[in-house]
Amino acid sequence: MNARALSSDILLGVVPIALLIALWQGIVSFGYAPVSLLPPPGLVFVRLAQQLASSGFLHEIGATLFRLFAGFSIAVVLGVGIGLAAAVNPAVNAVVRPVVRVLAPVPKVALYPALLLLLGFDHASKITLVAADALFPILLSTYFGASMVEQKLIWSAMAAGTPRRQILFKVVLPAAMPSILTGCRIGLVISCIVVFLAEMITSTDGLGHLLVAAARTFQTVDMFVPLITISLLGLILNGLLHGLRTYLLRGFAEV
Amino acid sequence: MIAPRAMLSKAAPLLAVAGLLGIWQVAALILNTDSFPSALDGIRAIPAILGDRGDLINILASLRRMAIGLSLAVMLAIPLGLMMGRSRAVASFFNPLLMVIYPVPKAALMPVIMLWLGVGDISKTLVIFLGVSLPIIYHSFQGAKAVEEKMLWSGAAMGMSAAQRMLRIVLPAALPEILTGCRTGLVLALITMVTSEMIARQSGAGNILFNALDMAQYDTVFAMIIIIGAMGIILDAAFERLRGRLVKWSEPRFDIPMSFA
Repeated sequence: MNARALSSDILLGVVPIALLIALWQGIVSFGYAPVSLLPPPGLVFVRLAQQLASSGFLHEIGATLFRLFAGFSIAVVLGVGIGLAAAVNPAVNAVVRPVVRVLAPVPKVALYPALLLLLGFDHASKITLVAADALFPILLSTYFGASMVEQKLIWSAMAAGTPRRQILFKVVLPAAMPSILTGCRIGLVISCIVVFLAEMITSTDGLGHLLVAAARTFQTVDMFVPLITISLLGLILNGLLHGLRTYLLRGFAEV
Repeated sequence: MIAPRAMLSKAAPLLAVAGLLGIWQVAALILNTDSFPSALDGIRAIPAILGDRGDLINILASLRRMAIGLSLAVMLAIPLGLMMGRSRAVASFFNPLLMVIYPVPKAALMPVIMLWLGVGDISKTLVIFLGVSLPIIYHSFQGAKAVEEKMLWSGAAMGMSAAQRMLRIVLPAALPEILTGCRTGLVLALITMVTSEMIARQSGAGNILFNALDMAQYDTVFAMIIIIGAMGIILDAAFERLRGRLVKWSEPRFDIPMSFA
């Protein structure tokens, strides 16, 4: 793909977002919706800029990010660990497979009341919910990636004298890396969504709480600000993960 | 020798359920607090909920909203995804927009949508529709992108029109991937259904769950969790059977889709 095609792609991609904002502005300016129900985009973005400069708002973002990262990290560690173990060990596989099959389709949000009762209203219950939701995509893609590793690679490593223990970290883990990172990407988006929802249901701080607090007092402008913030956060985190991916997978032919 | 093994692999999910309930029971007996009833107490409270006319109507209304939202999403998302997969221009037109929307929790739009459309069925169905559409679009897109160019050329050489090629070549070739998206969508629909109902507390399964929490009826809370969890497992298993019939020819790459939320 040459640079020109790429830039025309970007140009084309900006169009629907610009159209959406124009439509939003249009609906307000032509009076189809009262400003109290749908504030004009300009007002929302000015408010967002104001909020980003205030320390209180940054504190709320910090609370959300802390929960998001704590939950996501737990999910990555457990997901990659269990996924690898299930891929290389038949006994672990026999236990993990049916349990995952049962637990994966359970809507985790429904477990939130139970987590509240067990862990209280503080960070712990939200972090657990995020971890529980992000765990399965990461676990499954690790398992999938690790069980697809070519047997020849393992044999060659063994022939070259790699001890059995090291094969896992020197052959299987790197070979499964693209699949693991795909899982992490899905898990990250899910973490964004879940942390926000958990904060909406019960919380005293965080972006989700801001939305609920604004909704209770009918501050429509303030309702849009956290929504746009979480969307931006998702984009930024996704971009960071993409950077990490290109760095980690620099030896791979195609990504 | 094969028969007992096959039976064991069929019974494995049931054993897993039994094992999980067992762990719960033991944990509850050890912790021994009011707010964490044992598995047996939770199961015992289920008939009371399902036997109650009002509750049952609530749960069925939830499922109806979910079904409507899901079907609307399937009807709109699959054609869009397929077109994105086959045309670069359409893909680069929609991709950034979808990337912006993806990390926004759809149920978080509920308070905003409620202001416009009220707390009734329409807002909740709309939210479910929005939540379900994205994975289906994404998977249809991936499926259509992976269709072999040669088959389309042969189709064109045989005089098929663009629409015919889409319907007779791209759709069947992408079907396994589309169905994976639908399966993810099904579980997401259930999640969005529960969350939308606990934000707009008016009716539905999510409402029963969180009302019970507020009124400290812990048995009911855990019974509702079992019911909602069972809905997820049953719907997923039923869909898996349907998928097995529709795409018999395609070996499933993996028996659980990865993009569960």
